[in-house]
Amino acid sequence: MNYDLSRIDYTICGITYPDTLKILPSPSTTGLQKFAIGDKAGVLQCLSIKDEEPVVQFKSLPGKPITSVQLASTSGSPSDKIFAASGNEVKGYTKKGKVFLTIETTLSETITSMFIYGGDLILGSGRVVTHYRDLKEFHSYNCDDRVLDVAAFGSPNSTRLRLLVLVANKGAVVLENGQVAARMSVPCGPSRLAVPPWLHNSDVCAYYGAADGSIGLIAYVESVLTCKSLVDKGSLGAVVCVGWFTMNSAMHLVVGRHDGSIQLYLIDMENLYELPRLKYTYFCGEPITSVAGGCVGTEEGELVAATFSGRIFALRSSRLITGANSLSNISQDALASRRSKLEIEVARLEKQAASERDKYQKSTRSSLAGLSAPPLLDLQCELSGAKNDGWQEARVTSAVPLDMLFLYCQRKLDLLTDSAAVLSICPSQGSSEDLLATVRCQAGTRRLWIRMRQAQGSNSQPLIGQSTKLLVYALPAGAPRVARLISLQLPAFPYYSLHDDPDTADDSGRSWCVLRVTGSFSVAEMTSWLTEALPGGLPRPSTSMAFARSHTLLKTILICRYQRGLATFKSDNISTIYELKDILSNCSVVKGIRVDITCDVPEDCCKRCFESIEETYKIEFKKYQDMKLLEAMSALDLDANAVNEEIPVLCEDYLKVLRATADDVESNFEELVGIIVNWFRDYYKIKLHGADNSYEIDQLKKYLNECNLEAAKKILSNKPMTPVEAENFY
Amino acid sequence: MLISTVQPVFKLELNHKVTPNIVTIAKYDGTHPCLTASAGYDKIIIHHPHSGVISGRAQRSEAHGEVSELNLSQAVIALAAGPLKPDCNRDMLLIGSPSQILAYDVHDNADLFFKEAADGVNVIVAGTFGKHAETLAIVGGNSSVLGLTWQGNEVFWNVVSGKVCSMLCFDFDKDGENELLLGCEDSYIRVLKNNQFVLELAETGAVLSLAQVSDVRFAYGLGNGTIGIYEEGIRLWRVKSKQNALSLQWSGDSLACCWSNGRVDWRDGGSGRVLRRVQMRAAAAAMLLADYRSVGAPDLVCVSDKGEVLGYPPYQEATGFNASAKTKLPSEEDRLAITELFNRKQALLVELQHYEANAAGAQGLSSLEREATAMPTNTRLHVGVTTLLPEGVLDLSVSTNNDTIVRAALVLAEGVFSSGETMACHPASGRLRSHLQVALRPPRDVPIDVHIKALVGYADSEQFHIFELTKQLPRFCMYTLVAPSTSRPQLDSYVTFHITERVQRICIWINQNFLLEEEVQVDTEETKELHVGFNCLRDKGKLYMDFESDGQVKISTPDIRLAGDLIQSLAIYLNLIDLQVRLVYRYNQRQDYA
Repeated sequence: MNYDLSRIDYTICGITYPDTLKILPSPSTTGLQKFAIGDKAGVLQCLSIKDEEPVVQFKSLPGKPITSVQLASTSGSPSDKIFAASGNEVKGYTKKGKVFLTIETTLSETITSMFIYGGDLILGSGRVVTHYRDLKEFHSYNCDDRVLDVAAFGSPNSTRLRLLVLVANKGAVVLENGQVAARMSVPCGPSRLAVPPWLHNSDVCAYYGAADGSIGLIAYVESVLTCKSLVDKGSLGAVVCVGWFTMNSAMHLVVGRHDGSIQLYLIDMENLYELPRLKYTYFCGEPITSVAGGCVGTEEGELVAATFSGRIFALRSSRLITGANSLSNISQDALASRRSKLEIEVARLEKQAASERDKYQKSTRSSLAGLSAPPLLDLQCELSGAKNDGWQEARVTSAVPLDMLFLYCQRKLDLLTDSAAVLSICPSQGSSEDLLATVRCQAGTRRLWIRMRQAQGSNSQPLIGQSTKLLVYALPAGAPRVARLISLQLPAFPYYSLHDDPDTADDSGRSWCVLRVTGSFSVAEMTSWLTEALPGGLPRPSTSMAFARSHTLLKTILICRYQRGLATFKSDNISTIYELKDILSNCSVVKGIRVDITCDVPEDCCKRCFESIEETYKIEFKKYQDMKLLEAMSALDLDANAVNEEIPVLCEDYLKVLRATADDVESNFEELVGIIVNWFRDYYKIKLHGADNSYEIDQLKKYLNECNLEAAKKILSNKPMTPVEAENFY
Repeated sequence: MLISTVQPVFKLELNHKVTPNIVTIAKYDGTHPCLTASAGYDKIIIHHPHSGVISGRAQRSEAHGEVSELNLSQAVIALAAGPLKPDCNRDMLLIGSPSQILAYDVHDNADLFFKEAADGVNVIVAGTFGKHAETLAIVGGNSSVLGLTWQGNEVFWNVVSGKVCSMLCFDFDKDGENELLLGCEDSYIRVLKNNQFVLELAETGAVLSLAQVSDVRFAYGLGNGTIGIYEEGIRLWRVKSKQNALSLQWSGDSLACCWSNGRVDWRDGGSGRVLRRVQMRAAAAAMLLADYRSVGAPDLVCVSDKGEVLGYPPYQEATGFNASAKTKLPSEEDRLAITELFNRKQALLVELQHYEANAAGAQGLSSLEREATAMPTNTRLHVGVTTLLPEGVLDLSVSTNNDTIVRAALVLAEGVFSSGETMACHPASGRLRSHLQVALRPPRDVPIDVHIKALVGYADSEQFHIFELTKQLPRFCMYTLVAPSTSRPQLDSYVTFHITERVQRICIWINQNFLLEEEVQVDTEETKELHVGFNCLRDKGKLYMDFESDGQVKISTPDIRLAGDLIQSLAIYLNLIDLQVRLVYRYNQRQDYA
């Protein structure tokens, strides 16, 4: 099969939100299909394509930003009724553009996802899933966190609907009659659903795309909710949208990602658990917000995609494009006239822009002080939690090409950026420990990542009890010359980015250190204090809160439970509890709220925690040793003969080390030693009020560096060692 | 940008590691090219896929059947090859060791010459230069350049003020004779003609590679990741990357650039825009042009440090790599043009939207909202540069003319800052003023273009206006004028020379090349002499220039380099071709030279 697809640009619209482009079903079996797109300006337009030229079928007036576009579906197959959600309002349009329905809901938040099933309308907004039947509110359910996507499924022999809901930081929930039928936590963070269109609509089953880039399948069979990851997270970015595309009479799952890639996966329609096969990848350079397949331009299928900045283009088989064959139904003249029309339009716009620019310039020269107040640049910035190597990633997406970023932080950070951009660290101002850096982008850059972590090897102790603010100034390449400031809060515990279920974590039999805070704080206040500490969004405040996070490197857990006036934090990592104590007391002082903090630390916590990472520790120790060995061997400047198969010069183990690829030998060993020593130090600080334990710490460091685990455990278990015992460890 | 799926036309493994940059391709038998490379310390490997086994000193390699090994007793620093011997088209191999040069005839297994190089060997090229008709072996050392004939006789020698990192024989002034371009570690590209340096092009980093592009253009690559093209001594473009350019070659009608991490990209010669790129599996060792397939046109031969060799045919922009295969249909061209037109349309629409919203928004905003993004339209930015002798810095001051504040200032200049290309100033939020000062310390005396971006707004703004301007700092901006009344110590290091020029013109030269608060002026029309003194901001050193009425000029400074720079600058300004200079330096013996 030939997956040679080429791009054809159709048109541009305003900035688009995820999943706002839909292809309408074709009126007859042969006709070409139309598509509808809604943008941030609130314009919904329905377009058909003739000779690669868009023909507007209808276009609504601008209004509130359109955040979701869906087609009504009757028993599984889509109809040509278009529903567009903006704010808390949903409008229904016929294919002719007539508004046949307007619902103004009482929802307080913007509708971000929508599903229409016969006479049922399901809306997701904020944390609420609302089910309307025949325009009347039927059920409503409050989820634990933001609703990311919803899908509705019928039930056999009943008018009841089953709803599959993706909830941020929580995973998936199945709702039936406004009640939770099943729930499941999915650690990869699924964010978008794609229901296989060929399935019977009572099978609760859907593919998901996740924030970490992975793809999987969620199914609810016989009251059991299951989830299976099918495509692991690769180097590619977060999934923004998913869709279906038939090509060469085979079904493909289309995935649009934040890094600008569109991928086609071949799906086995008989066996959904068969691993999808990657067939094609296209890079467009800016986040993809919608993908859909259909016969839009020719009678053969093509893929239509929309991007963040509002480009709408098709990917069409090259055979249809280059071929002089009859399938290509566009004449050379039509294409040339399309091009010249566009050229004239661009020339007109250029003239207009030049005159406006002139006007603006003049106003800056006039002595009458007017105001120059350009609107804010359209910019998005997301900050992820730390991976197990400690790097946090900030992704910047812009509607206009960027020229450079300027970063400022009061504390030194290690920085990395896209290979296409040049990072330059500026000298600090005076003697202060601040970070100033610029990132110069290549022409046309609309998205960029920056990775940061606390500077390694710097002697500055992390500012305990304080999060760090990173200021990012984004400078666009073109006019108008304004720089937007984004301020990123780097949390004190970047590692606690994995979500966990608080109840199961509680039962895992760890040795818990407990921190209790009482005082006259509200739930909202405690949540805002915790944002200083934890990465990623926290659940929205409700009367009582419970959530758990786990450490990406150490796998230790932090469980947070709080309500008005009382908060309990449990962790098997004593340093986490110690630092959290500082953060919370700092925050409460700033707010002027009196709190009482108590700490309860079991004697064996250091030892138990060490035992839980023992395996990781051993592996890291081995890697660390290998790395040293490799360093020594590369210093020897061995030539090809030394690694020759026939005449072995090196022993087997050495050869293995030598052949190991570079990414295998990244070692976190030194970091681990530091962490373990800190546990021990913090234990003394909490338990023994800072009694001097420098001798034990030195001993511990020594044992850890030698990987003398038994001796290290002995010290960590806080039982004093007799000199004889210490002797025995040698 | 296209991430290309370009396939190489040939691919082979040498089964030897290759030392980066010590690689050449030579026709030892006059017809068949052989890849020759250093494979670690003292070993040279020769790949000979066409001809039979090379006999003599070279031994057949155990790791590869078509590779011969040549072992020397000294480290191999540089390799080059060329038809040195007159009336013989066979290439001779030139091997540079830390202290000697060996010319070796691989085909006849004979040494041509063996020469001690007292000044060290960094780079060797074989080429023609000046009036010398025969091919010469030209050797760049730590502070000199040396030309040798096939018998090892020295035909020219000259001092270079810096380690030579790269060389190119190139007809710079189009007089039909090759000049020698030297890329030096001290960031200059120097042009040697008739054994005299005729031009210096100041760059911003060690010049590691030079390559001929056309009759009038050549490409250069620096140690800081910059590459670019010069046309007739004027830089057409430059781009900067994080990697270092290992090698540049003009292939087809684009500039191929091989980066040290193994990336190869093809760029448009006029703009530096990337057309195609590929990534090798390992770090790069070399990229050369050679007709390795014997098809009549040179391919680009890329060698990785693991010994992988990939060949790419010349890249033609119109047709891509396969000239014979499918030509681009006109319809496809139209579609690409349409995509590009949409890009422009989108950019223009965004710009127009901003003007529109600006006009509409300025009235209806409350003062609080306004502060988030606004600024009075008549805000002006003033930038001034003054010298601060006590601190030893140039003070760049940026200020606005109203209550707006300068949130941050970015200063972009190359070769000025110790860490990268930018310097930034971002005052703490409590210390925001409408005035901001940045201290600059240019490390050497070259004219510098300083590009300033200032972010102007209010303290709580979410969006700031960008003010951009470029300021050119004169070449000797780090010297500040001494008040004429102050007593003058006697300096015993000086240069003297004689010029016939009115002091009025000298004044113009000083005003152009120094950063002065007040211009130097002569008192009356009849004044025939001029005495000025300067302090150096870097080390508080003294500089005196005395222009006597009889045309005698004396420049007194303990910094010999500064004296040289001043003479060069003055000579270029006065259009002098020849200048006799007498140099007196305290610890040196008296020297006279032209």
